[in-house]
Amino acid sequence: MRAFAVIVIAMLAAAAQSLAYAHHSFAAFDRNKKVVLVGVVKDFQWTNPHAWIQLEVQDAKGDKTEWGVECGSPNMMARTGWKKELLKPGDQVAVTVNPLLDGKPNGSLVSITLANGAVLGPGDAPPPKPLGSSSAR
Amino acid sequence: MRGALFVLSLAAMLAGCGAPQPAQDEAAKPRNAGDRGFAGVFVPIGSFEDPAGPPPFQNTRWPAKPPFTEWGAAESQRLKDPTSLKVCSPNGPVFFMSEVGIFPLEFLEAPDQIVILREASGMPRRIYMDGRGHPDDVEPSWMGHSIGHWEGESLFVDTIGLNGLARAMNGVGSNARVSEDDAKPRMPSSEQLHLVERMKLVANGELLEDELTINDPKAYTEPLILKHYFQRRPDIDMLEYYCNENPRDDSVVAGSKSK
Repeated sequence: MRAFAVIVIAMLAAAAQSLAYAHHSFAAFDRNKKVVLVGVVKDFQWTNPHAWIQLEVQDAKGDKTEWGVECGSPNMMARTGWKKELLKPGDQVAVTVNPLLDGKPNGSLVSITLANGAVLGPGDAPPPKPLGSSSAR
Repeated sequence: MRGALFVLSLAAMLAGCGAPQPAQDEAAKPRNAGDRGFAGVFVPIGSFEDPAGPPPFQNTRWPAKPPFTEWGAAESQRLKDPTSLKVCSPNGPVFFMSEVGIFPLEFLEAPDQIVILREASGMPRRIYMDGRGHPDDVEPSWMGHSIGHWEGESLFVDTIGLNGLARAMNGVGSNARVSEDDAKPRMPSSEQLHLVERMKLVANGELLEDELTINDPKAYTEPLILKHYFQRRPDIDMLEYYCNENPRDDSVVAGSKSK
């Protein structure tokens, strides 16, 4: 239980990180709301323009709901440490999402905590480099 | 052996004497884009949180009150609606050169051409450097017809022949509000777009500056001038992006209910 609390705190910290999306409108998601889901990976679609995690989440009554979790694009994800092999069916993970406004079980990934404790975001731009740190021509 | 080399050298010299070459001024020889430091991977500066980027080399932001024509104002309104977007439609040359730093660009050199790739765009920009003009009957296209020439250390690029179907020049045409710029009016472009760019290296060659002069009399009553900056990033490789592989979010783009 304590481990789970640590995970949630870590995820809330990660949730404060900004998002960077370019593909399309994210107006369908509630950017002001964050939902933490703990579940089992059913499928990981490492695809363009966005990767998707299908996550099976069990509630207190034992009822299961499958959530679709939309990530960034594989190029943006790869630049922030993601790999296709990072998630496999059966992996237990905790994710924070901005849920759909219409209440359906579908969210935009804010951050994920893997079974090994690693925390990743939805993918982002290349890490910035201050001017003067890379050699000129 | 040494004697044989001497004979060969002498023969080469004599051959050279027999066919005199016109004197060529070294400074006047054309140099390619690579020699000028334009080739390679660059990342646009700025982010959704800070679209201008840090001073002193800051991206010009789009005007809060653009000088729209009547058509431009109506088209701007139309583009505010996410359902106006064709899924995965290309960017057009202005958005290509003015988005903030998510997707890198790569400048490549081919004989008599400079080709610019953008990671998010399947279509390159192709700039003809062989001295040709625009065709009289230019075929409308997504990226237009671009010709370029060097003036000193600056690359001038002239682009016409757009099809007028590209996304808004300032982004995806959504109301996603991922950036403060998304709250600004959508900036349409038409088939009358005439884009003139001056690209040069600044900041000791570490940044590429692109000054874009946007003439589109169908959409705007006066030219718009923007500067955008790109940081040289030899540490980054270009990756792939393909809009239509798993378009589960089409429903979001199209504004219908999510699946």
